[in-house]
Amino acid sequence: MEILRNLYEMTAIGSLFQSPETIFMLLIGGFLLYLGIVKGYEPLLLVPIGFGVILANSLGGEMGVVPSNDEIMHMSLLEIAKNHGIMNLLYYSLIKTGLLPPIIFMGVGALTDFGPMLRNLKLAFFGAAAQIGIFSVLLGAIAAGFTLKEAASLGIIGGADGPTAIYTTIKLAPHLLGPIAIAAYSYMALVPVIIPFVVRLTTSKKELKINMKEQDKLYPNKQPIKNLKVLKILFPLMMGGIVAVLVPSAVPLVGMLLFGNLVKEIGSSTERLYKAASGGILNTATIFLGLTVGGTMTASAFLNTQTIMIIVGGFIAFCFSVAGGIYAVKLHNLFVKKKINPLIGATGLSAVPMASRVANELALKNDPSNHLLQYAMASNISGVIGSAVAAGVLISFLS
Amino acid sequence: MSEGFNTAFMLLAVGMITVFTILALIVIFGNILILFVNKFIPEAKVKAVVSRATQGSIDPQKLAVIVSAVDVVTEGRAKVTSITKAE
Repeated sequence: MEILRNLYEMTAIGSLFQSPETIFMLLIGGFLLYLGIVKGYEPLLLVPIGFGVILANSLGGEMGVVPSNDEIMHMSLLEIAKNHGIMNLLYYSLIKTGLLPPIIFMGVGALTDFGPMLRNLKLAFFGAAAQIGIFSVLLGAIAAGFTLKEAASLGIIGGADGPTAIYTTIKLAPHLLGPIAIAAYSYMALVPVIIPFVVRLTTSKKELKINMKEQDKLYPNKQPIKNLKVLKILFPLMMGGIVAVLVPSAVPLVGMLLFGNLVKEIGSSTERLYKAASGGILNTATIFLGLTVGGTMTASAFLNTQTIMIIVGGFIAFCFSVAGGIYAVKLHNLFVKKKINPLIGATGLSAVPMASRVANELALKNDPSNHLLQYAMASNISGVIGSAVAAGVLISFLS
Repeated sequence: MSEGFNTAFMLLAVGMITVFTILALIVIFGNILILFVNKFIPEAKVKAVVSRATQGSIDPQKLAVIVSAVDVVTEGRAKVTSITKAE
């Protein structure tokens, strides 16, 4: 009998039934895995995050991230690993230091092609307009009782850029990392639902039929590009210089993005670096980012009203960002002869390249000859820069 | 609360102005860069040389593939000037 009791105490069964909220968190972890595996929503992130949630809520496993306090902040990494387990070692060395989001940005840069943006530079403005969701939800979050730092972390979900949202939250409100990361990546996965929803509310059929290629034929670009290869090497250097001078706090994100892009564009002489940045390093960083973000989602940290408000606020921020881009295009169309399809504005939030693909599909539904993917990518890529700059502004003012 | 709102409104204004300014500068300097590259480092017109030498003997798509492959493998140090079919 004694042996059986010891065996029972060794397992987590008893403590599991004493804390139903942990069972609920395990179900959430399972649901995230379901979304990633079965539904195919952002599987590269939702699978590690979902599994991280399950690990964090496995009682006795010491895989849940301990909220930072004075005691833990003065521990060495060895002590953290010894006292709080390996998940905390990963969290405090890779996430709390802000290391992984810039590393992921380097990989994103290596997978980004600035060609479409260079061919349609003017469309970059819509990537700026679409950042309105970030700042307007910041206001709403203050009204809802969030502190400034928390509100800024919530608002940044509207940038539709997972690493940027995580980086900003680490800097400003690390205790909200779990719900903000989940909201950011879930809504990014739901871009095919959110963009058509906002487009339906804000645009007319006539506007959606604006054919970008026909507009280009009517009003051709005055400046053809004569050496795209050289331009693609010089462009990130120039862009990096501008960001470094004006918003240095955005450099960890934008700088790494541009470095990743540079090693891609240089060509065969840096091919090994490009392959490492876009393959092994990016994938490794994604695994640890996902697992540790999931690891922050213990029942005590996740199950509260703030989480619900973040989920709702994140959705509003996304919708406002899409609408901001659309209305900027409409405003532009009032004053110029060469019209732009409002769908280009809808892609001003990041979520590359899914937002562009969704916009392209919507355009093709209204006019089967209206292939606007390349145009949408221009505004979409500038949205990545825009959201990183917005994050830099928030961090430099609030941290 | 009102202090929080004031800061939030300030961030709204500063943030949007900064994002627009940075992207505007990227557009302006990007255009200057395009002008500079077009004027001082335009791409060598290899295709024209090749097409003249091999006019009518090779499919333009295959020609483009060969020219690009040579460019990548030799890291831009070599150019295709003529293509002759091996017997």
